[in-house]
This record gives sequence, C-alpha cells and structure tokens, in this order.
Amino acid sequence: MQTTFTPEQLADPLTARSNEILRTCVHCGFCTATCPTYKVLGDELDSPRGRIYLIKDMLENARVPDDKTVTHIDRCLSCLSCMTTCPSGVHYMHLVDHAREYIEQNYRRPLPDRVLRWVLARILPYPGRFRLALLGAKLGRPFRRLIPDARLRAMLDMAPRDIPAPSRNDSPQVFAAQGPRRKRVALLTGCAQRALNTDINDATIRLLRRHGCEVVIPRGMGCCGALTHHMGRTGESHAFAAANIRALTAEIDGAGLDALVINTSGCGTTVKDYGHMFAGGPLEADAARVAALAKDITEVMADLGLTDATHAVPLRVGYHAACSLQHGQGIKATPKELLAAAGFTVLEPRDSHICCGSAGTYNLMQPAISAELKARKVATLEATSPQVISAGNIGCMMQIGSGTAVPVVHTVELLDWATGGPRPQALRHAA
Amino acid sequence: MTIAMPAPDAQVIAQRPQIVAALRAVLPADAVIDDPHETRAYECDALTAYRCPPLAVVLPRTTAEVAAAMRVSHGLGVPVVPRGAGTSLAGGALPTADCVILGTMRLNAFLDIDLANRYVRVQSGVTNLSVSAELEPLGFFYAPDPSSQLACTIAGNIAMNSGGAHCLKYGVTTNNLLGATVVLTTGEIIELGGPEPGPAGLDLLGVLCGSEGQLGVVTEATLRILPRPEGARPVLIGFDSPEVAGECVANIIRSGVLPVAIEYMDEPCLRAVESFAKAGYPDCPAVLIVEVEGSKAEIDDQIARIRAIADALNPVEFRESRNADESLAIWKGRKSAFGAMGRLGDYICLDGTVPVGQLPHTLRRIGELSRQHGLEVANVFHAGDGNMHPLILFDANTPGDLARAEAFGADILRLCVEVGGCLTGEHGVGVEKRDLMGDQYDPDDLAIQMQVKDVFDPGWLLNPAKVFPLEASAAHRAHTAPLAAAE
Amino acid sequence: MTVVTDLAPATETEVAAILSECHARRRPVRILGGGTRVENRTLGEPLSLSRLSGVVTYSPGEMTLIARPGTPLPQILAMLAAENQTLAFEPPDMRAILGRSGTPTLGGMVAANAGGPRRILAGACRDHLLGVRFVDGQGRILKNGGRVMKNVTGLDLSKLLAGSHGTLGVLTEVALKTLPLSPARTTLAFPGVDDTTALRIFTAALSTPYDVSGAAHVGGTAYLRIEGLDGQRAYRRDRLLALLAEYRPEVVDDAPWDAIRDVTHFVGGGPLWRILCRPTDAPGLCAGLRAMGGDCSLDWGGGLIWYRGPGHPRALAPHATLIRRADAVGPAFPPLPGAVARIQDGLRRSFDPAGILNPGLMASDATGA
Repeated sequence: MQTTFTPEQLADPLTARSNEILRTCVHCGFCTATCPTYKVLGDELDSPRGRIYLIKDMLENARVPDDKTVTHIDRCLSCLSCMTTCPSGVHYMHLVDHAREYIEQNYRRPLPDRVLRWVLARILPYPGRFRLALLGAKLGRPFRRLIPDARLRAMLDMAPRDIPAPSRNDSPQVFAAQGPRRKRVALLTGCAQRALNTDINDATIRLLRRHGCEVVIPRGMGCCGALTHHMGRTGESHAFAAANIRALTAEIDGAGLDALVINTSGCGTTVKDYGHMFAGGPLEADAARVAALAKDITEVMADLGLTDATHAVPLRVGYHAACSLQHGQGIKATPKELLAAAGFTVLEPRDSHICCGSAGTYNLMQPAISAELKARKVATLEATSPQVISAGNIGCMMQIGSGTAVPVVHTVELLDWATGGPRPQALRHAA
Repeated sequence: MTIAMPAPDAQVIAQRPQIVAALRAVLPADAVIDDPHETRAYECDALTAYRCPPLAVVLPRTTAEVAAAMRVSHGLGVPVVPRGAGTSLAGGALPTADCVILGTMRLNAFLDIDLANRYVRVQSGVTNLSVSAELEPLGFFYAPDPSSQLACTIAGNIAMNSGGAHCLKYGVTTNNLLGATVVLTTGEIIELGGPEPGPAGLDLLGVLCGSEGQLGVVTEATLRILPRPEGARPVLIGFDSPEVAGECVANIIRSGVLPVAIEYMDEPCLRAVESFAKAGYPDCPAVLIVEVEGSKAEIDDQIARIRAIADALNPVEFRESRNADESLAIWKGRKSAFGAMGRLGDYICLDGTVPVGQLPHTLRRIGELSRQHGLEVANVFHAGDGNMHPLILFDANTPGDLARAEAFGADILRLCVEVGGCLTGEHGVGVEKRDLMGDQYDPDDLAIQMQVKDVFDPGWLLNPAKVFPLEASAAHRAHTAPLAAAE
Repeated sequence: MTVVTDLAPATETEVAAILSECHARRRPVRILGGGTRVENRTLGEPLSLSRLSGVVTYSPGEMTLIARPGTPLPQILAMLAAENQTLAFEPPDMRAILGRSGTPTLGGMVAANAGGPRRILAGACRDHLLGVRFVDGQGRILKNGGRVMKNVTGLDLSKLLAGSHGTLGVLTEVALKTLPLSPARTTLAFPGVDDTTALRIFTAALSTPYDVSGAAHVGGTAYLRIEGLDGQRAYRRDRLLALLAEYRPEVVDDAPWDAIRDVTHFVGGGPLWRILCRPTDAPGLCAGLRAMGGDCSLDWGGGLIWYRGPGHPRALAPHATLIRRADAVGPAFPPLPGAVARIQDGLRRSFDPAGILNPGLMASDATGA
C-alpha cells in the first residue's frame, strides 16, 4: 500500500518499521477470513485489514487516538492468525504493538479503564501478588452479583476454585539430569502460571530431567513482559524483559545453556521477539542471543525424542492449538506428533486456527467477545468427543477449562505421564 | 490516478445527518457506521490505488434489514455501493463520497443443505470457502474457487461472476448458481430461480450474475453442489520458455483430456510464491500446474496422456504431487500468488482473457510491452481458458509510477481484445477497466446494457461510476432520466 | 429508407434494415429458424433466417465455434464429431413431438436454451454460450460476450438472449464452447421400477463422483448413462453396479438416449407439458399427474417431468409449461410473480420498444391453469 509518512516521521525507528510493514500489505483481505473478532463481529474495523488501516491513518497523521480507533485496536486479540494467513508477509505483530504503545502514550482512557489496567499490570506479572489476589477473589465470589463492571466479574469468574500452594521447584536452583547429561537448559518459570498451576512446571522439570537435561531456574528471572507489552506499557515490559536477558546472559556466559525452555507459549512468542524489542539499544546483542535460545517445550522434546513412552492410558486427546504456539511461533505439527508418539489418539477440532478468546488479559478486558469465542472453541472441541483436552498455554487452559466438563491439561503433563511421571492432577478423579 | 470519479452530489452530502438518522431508525445500533475515522477503513477494496471514504456504512444481518436500508436510501436519493469482503481487484466496491456502503458480511447463515436435490441455500455474506468447508464432511463441494476464496463472499462472487482455477471443468459462478433472493433499489424483494432447473421466463438470474451490483443486492443464494471427486492430483511441468508452455496448454486441450485446471506461473511469480508456500516449485521460466481428478487409476491414465504431450515439448521438469500435503502446498502457493507478490512491491493485477491459441503470441507481446514501458511484469493465470493475470510491478510511493503502470496495463488489455479476447475474465470491470469498455464494445452495445440497468435501477443509485464509462453513462442518463421522470 | 420486400435476409445488415423498417412501421415479425417449432401463427410476418447460415470459425484447440443462426444443427454436430468434439448440452430435436418437419438450426437452439439429458452434468445451452451478435427490435446491430471461455466484461446479455425465444432480438451470430466427445457410453438400465424407486436410484447415483451424464425414467425403466475414457467408464460402471445392486441393474449397449432426449415416447396423443421441479418432489408430482389420467416420464435426475395427458397440471406445479396443445399454437408459459413480470416486461420494451419481435410468445398465459 501507498504510505505518506514524512522523512522526519521515518527517522523514528518504530515508525520506519511500521512503514515497512504497511508497504508490504496489498489490502487483499485474506486476513479478514481467519480473524476471530471479524468472525464474531462482522465489521471490517474489527479485522486485521481494518485495524491496519486505522493504525496507518493514526500514525501517518500523528493524531491523538480517538475512542473508536482505540476500541477496535483493543478488540484485537493479538492471536496473530492473520500472520499465518497473510501471503505478503505483513508483520502485523510489530505493527499492532507499535499502535498499542502509541495509544498508551497519546490517549487518555476513561478512569475505570485506567484503574483496571493499572491493577492488572501491578498484579499479574508478580506470582506472589497474583496468588493473594486469587485468594481474595475466592472470598469475593459470593458478592459477584453486586459488582457493576462485567470485566471485574470476569476476573472473579476466572479465579480457580483451588489455588495451589507455591511450588518450591520454581525457586532458583539447578536440577540434575537423570542419566548422562544431554543438554543444559534454563526454564522460564513464568509469573501468572506459577500462581495458577504449579503442576506444569513440575511436570516440565520431571520430563526434561528424565530425558537427560540439567534444568536451571536462573536467579533474577520473572515475567517475560508479554502481559504489559500487550497493554502498550512498553516501559514496564522492557524492564521485565531486560531483567530476564541479564539473568540469562549470566547463565549463558557462565555454565552455558543449550536452550531456554518455555512452557507458556504466550511468553514464548514474546521472548523469541526480544531481539526486535531491543533493536538499536545496548542490550541488542544479548537480547538476540536469548531470543535465539528460546524454545517451546515441544520443540525441545521433539529434538530430544520421547523415550520409553509406554506408561499412559491411550486416551482420546482433543488438542487445542494455542495461537501463540501455532501463529506466534509457527509450531503446528510438533505437539500433535509428540502426543501421538506418546500413545494418545490426537483429535483436532474444526477451525483449530481460531483463538479461544483467552489471549493474555483479553478475557478480562473484553469479556463479551471472549465468552463468544470460548463457547465456539468449547463446542468444536467437544464435537470431537475427547476424554481430555490438551493445550500448551495456561491462558487457554483456564479459558477452555471454565467452559467444559472435560478435563484440561498441559501437553507436558501428558508427555510426563506417558514417560513415567504421575497421572496429571486433572485426570485423577476421572480415572 | 487517471480514472476520474464523478463529483459527489452536494445535496446528498448536505443531508448526511438526516440520512444517518433515517438508517439508524430502521437498523440495529451497531449496524450503522458514520464516524469519519471508521468509514475510512471502507474507502477501498483490494484495489488500493483508488480510495474514497463513504458517507456511511451499513452492516445488515437479514434480507429485511437490507430492504429497509435500501428503502431509506431510495427515498432520500442516496447511492448504495454493495460490498462483500472487499477483495475486488477491480475496485468493484469503491465508494463515492455521497454513498452508503452496504456490507454483506453479517449475512452469514447457512439456511438449507439439501443433499438429495444437490443444493445449498446460504445468506450471501458467507465466504466461498466456508461453503465447501461446511459440505466437506457430507462429501460435497461448491465448485467455483476464486483465488480469494478464503475471504471473498458468495455475494461478491455473484456480483462478479467469479471463476477460479477449477472452472475449466466446473464452470464459473453463473453455471453453479441456481437461485437468488434479490433486494431491488426500491427495497422490493424478489426471488429469481431456485432449486428447480431452468428459469421461468427470461433468465434474469443470468443477467444479474456478473452485473457488479448494478441491478440489485443479492441477500440469499441457492448454489448447486457437487459430489467431491475421489481424488485429485496436480502435476508441475516446467518449461524453458513461456511460449512452449503455452503450446503445451493448447496441445493438452486439443487431445481430448480435460484436466480440471491448467494454471501457469512465471519465474518472478514463482519466486514470490515459493517464499510463502514452500511448495518446491521447479526453478524455471514457466511452470504449468495441471490437475486431474478421479480414482487413482483414472488419475494415472490421464497423467500418462498429459506426460506424453508434455514430453514431446522437452520440459525441464515433470513432477507429480506425491501426497495430499504436497498438493495443498502447490495450490496454496498458486492461490496466494497475488498477495505473495506484495513481497516484491506494489502491483496492479490484470484479468484479460485471450483465445488459448493466442497465449504464446500474447505472452511474447506482453514481454515486449514490459520493455517499452520499463516496468516489470509477472504472469500467473488460468491457462486452460486463456484467462491471464499479468501483475505489473510499480512503486506506489513514487509519484507518476501508478500512471505508468496503468498505461502499460491498458496496452495489455487492448492487446487482449485485439487478439479476440476480452478485458476481464473473472475480476469484473469495476472502476479499473471502466474507461476501456469502449475498446471492446460499440456505443450501442453499451447502450443496451445501460438500458437493462434502467429497468432494474431507474434512478441509477446502485454502485455508481462502475462498469460504464462516465461520459457514456452521463449521456445516456441525460437522455433517459427525463423520460423516466416523465412516466 | 430501405423498402422491406424480402424477409429472408442473408446478412446482418439486411436483418438490421428489415427490423428498423418494421420498428418504424410497428409491423410485427415472426422469427423462423428451421421451422421445427410450433409458432404463434396468428401474429407477424415470417422472418426466415435460413439464408443467414454458415460457420464463421471453428477452433477445436480453443474449443470454440462461431456460426450464424440459420446453420443446420446436424451439419454443426457432424463437423464437431470429426474433431471428436460436441455440444455437451445435447440439444434435443423437438420435431417428432411437435409434429413438425424442417431442420433444427443453431439459432433456434439458442433461442430455446435447449438442453438434453446431459443437463445434469453439463448444464443447458446458456452455460455454453460464449457470446452473441443480434439485432434488436429497433434494428440496432449489437453484440455481447465474445469467443473466450471466461468473460465478465459488462452485463451478460447472452444469458438473456438464450431462452428468450426471439423476443429480445434476432440472433445473427453465436459463439459456443465445444467439448471433447466421449468415445463411447455405457448405460445401466433398471427395468420395472416406479417413480419413487427411480428417484432413489438417481439420488444415489448423482451423489457419486462418477459424472453420471444421464438419469431418466421412461416406460417403467430407469436409465443411468456413464461416459468418459475407456478405463474410466469401466471403473465407474462397476462402482455403480455395486452401489445400486439392490435395484438389479442391467448393462445395456444400445440405450435409447436420443429417444429420451427427444421425448419420442410422447409423440402424438394430446397436450404435452414440461414441468421443472425439485427432484425429490418428482414422485409426488408424478402420482398426482398420473391421477389426472395421463402418463409421465422423468429426465434430469428427476428435475424434469414430461406429462402427456388431460387435466390442469399447474394446479400441482405452477411452473408447468404447455409445450404442445390441441390447437397447435405455440407454447404457453407459466405466469410470473408481479415484480419479476414487471422487470421482464421492462426488458422486452428496452430491446423491442414497438413490440414487433415474436409478439405473444413468452407472454404468461393462464391456459391450462
């Protein structure tokens, strides 16, 4: 597409990058067809192509974002389905991230909005605070009907009934490999996931050790920055990312690392993009090194190969492809191949490329659209009559789990079980 | 920009608040868009060289809502531009500043699937691919498969009489459309055709199909569906020169084997597409994708015949797809070719059709014209029916480049007409080829078409400034409008 | 102005001169091709197209034929057959049922939008019509479409002309798509089946991907036709035999497809109706029709019912067209809904403001209702 940025505007690296992206777009409209919000709302403005247009107009004219533009960009899930679909290779992720940052800097949201975002940004990335908030939510649930804001109700609804105690496995330490060491890997233990479900990291550590990995939980690591990044709060997200980059750089330069293992695909997408986030800055080289080492747990397991996968019951597994995994990282077949190799029957729902509506904090900020997407996802998954649903992202697990009676587990829990680990918690009473 | 649009009707623009209020009164709140920041996203379709935000956008969900919107615009004299998914490469849904865009995307329900009578009835905003996706578990499919089938709507397909790669065997939209619910410009709702074969009276459905939104708005459609073939296999045949590839196409067709598709891609196009689809296309100046269908034995038999024809022309490579994934990748690449060309730069995409025997000559002349105009051209097209899609590359940010590309494009289209072909095989005239209509049709030929429009849309409110050259339509209107008013 | 003395023009220009004269004088004409169809004899002076004849171009490699309307159809089909091609929509020969002589012509075929048993696979004439040249009711020489397979340049008036029975213009040249001729055909016959069973057979067969190119039910026997290359035919035959075994199919060599196409089983014997319907409605309609005292046959997989006999079929099927009537006047078309009739009338006025082209034809007619 034609663009009209001035040379002065293009001097800004972010704008230059956005211009480059916009110039690639030919406005063919293919992306509209695979955009979840467009499918639900049926308005060009709630499609990638419409948003690209809104962003282009906003950035070219350097104008103060108007309410409508902000609404439509806020409705974007950042599921990146459009990037998988786009034949011209438009990097929508970088464009919408730029737009979100621009909006955060140039738009004054209504007070309740600001408060909500502030609260989320102060709580979610911190496992301790989040755990307290979840306990609070549990106490608050009886008063649900008194809460005026749908988004706050959505937050209450999201809080699980059982909040696990913190896992000691998530503290900085080194787990030795079982048998001869094949790799030395770091595990990103994450933030919200640690408060919501400690089984995933536990299973990941067991699985990796069993396959000859020494697993490091580096000191100084925290949230990957994705949660705040998607709110356009670049300052905060970069601070989180920088802390991780420093922590990991110390490991890389110390005992060395073969991979940074990530078992929350939403984080994986962001960590793999650290190179871009820090381009042109002093951390550029280190960020790129960390990004290059970042691997989803399924990538690492595919590389190692499953050994002795004979312990599991051959269940019918409905595989839910997390958007951050299939679109953000382009990992589509690997998890299914691993599950099949582990002895499970893998079932894929119709429209597997469409988001479940979780999308980070989206289910909290856009409860109506999120609920509609959840209903569609649950219906297509249940249509495959699965005995268990598996996903590679805690957000999706919570979202889908809140809409179905079918147990939902992380892919690693099934792989761990199949190779000698315990039966996943969610499947214990189902036995 | 060399294509002029008429000055908007100042009276209509002045009435904007009343028009929006009247639309709001008959439509749900979220179905009317008039914020200038928002209407801008509707200012063009997949032809981005021409842009103009509409006065308002309406997004109805039912035939009744479409009719209500049409009654309002008819009553207030507001032009209406129907829009499907906005994938037209010809500017078929380009707004005018005084128009209401009527989007069909929310008309997305499946109304009836009747396997015994082999038809489906859908609301017209469903996407082309979703029809076949819905039918797949039932063993049927909907045949027309325009490259934009992932996104484009049945409404747009009917408006443009869309074709696709497989129409060599299955025909285009008009051959697969059984019936339609149409809202006329007055808001009247009529039914044309239906599941029964053949029209009662004149074939109004036949003239509606491909009328580019000039005659009415289709809100529901009855589509012929076909049993899925047992199997299909594409072969890739690479040649040293475009001319030899063209010869191969003509020889295949003459032989009596009728493949379901014969597609052509040249080197620049292959490069762009390979980087997206990773289908492993042969690396040579011209590649044909020839697809045959049937049981395994039938496919083997047909491919053997095609191989014999190709071998006589010394192909660089002859390769059969080995499995379903490979076939998918081959087609994914072909169908994404236009978009993938975006990796190389801006382009305009042409759609002229020539008699198959003229392909080698036409390709040679396009090469010469490319050198004359100093602009690169990539070719990807439906070779079996001579429907060419030259893509002229230019730089939209360089002043004057678009005009040069358009001049080159006009030369190619005139060449198509000169060798016995036509301006557009499946994309439609839209705004893009409007002013070239005089190269294909004499004034009387255009006059009779405009008279047909007069019958359906006496006030000429539907999809203004498309299809007919502006001077021709202005002159026609100057003559007929007073007569109509007098009646 | 040319004085019209001869209503058998040999060129397009002559057609234009005649029609422009007739338009000025509001003198109706009755367009004649090979004279194979029954016309409304009471109206208009005969305008014969017999001299406007001959092939303009035939390119087998491009699957394209361009010819003038008076060209005899048998001549065309023989020429195509020599190149192993044909007109896939299988135009019927209506002479026997209409009790006419003469030779079918290309123009008549287009004007009637002819289509035989292969319609279920290949569509009707309109689906193979690439373009037309014609002269309208004011004497304007017009063209639409062209000679290429895919063409969406402007409004598709060729579709309107096909099946307009000469009411919109006099064809002067038609371009048609030709297709490879199947080297042979195989037929499965199912003797002694009723309408309901016949429809079951059709539905099952037409839901297979075996390109069944004929599905008819005549005289208590259902027929399925299979075409294609030799290996293809054998394969498809065996699959269908297996699929339909319960209906006891027989493979027959000389199946009466030409007779089915031409409806020769209903030659003579009173009014003949043509009824288009949803195939699954056919058995019910046939039961009702037979109850009126006549006989039915099915073609197009049940989508076309021929009814010969007394009574008023429109009471059952509003779409029924009376093809042959006792008084030997032209066909009577079913009435159209208001808005559609208004558009159709408007189009006729645009193409023929003075109403001189085959007046009375295609008008809705309540006969038999």
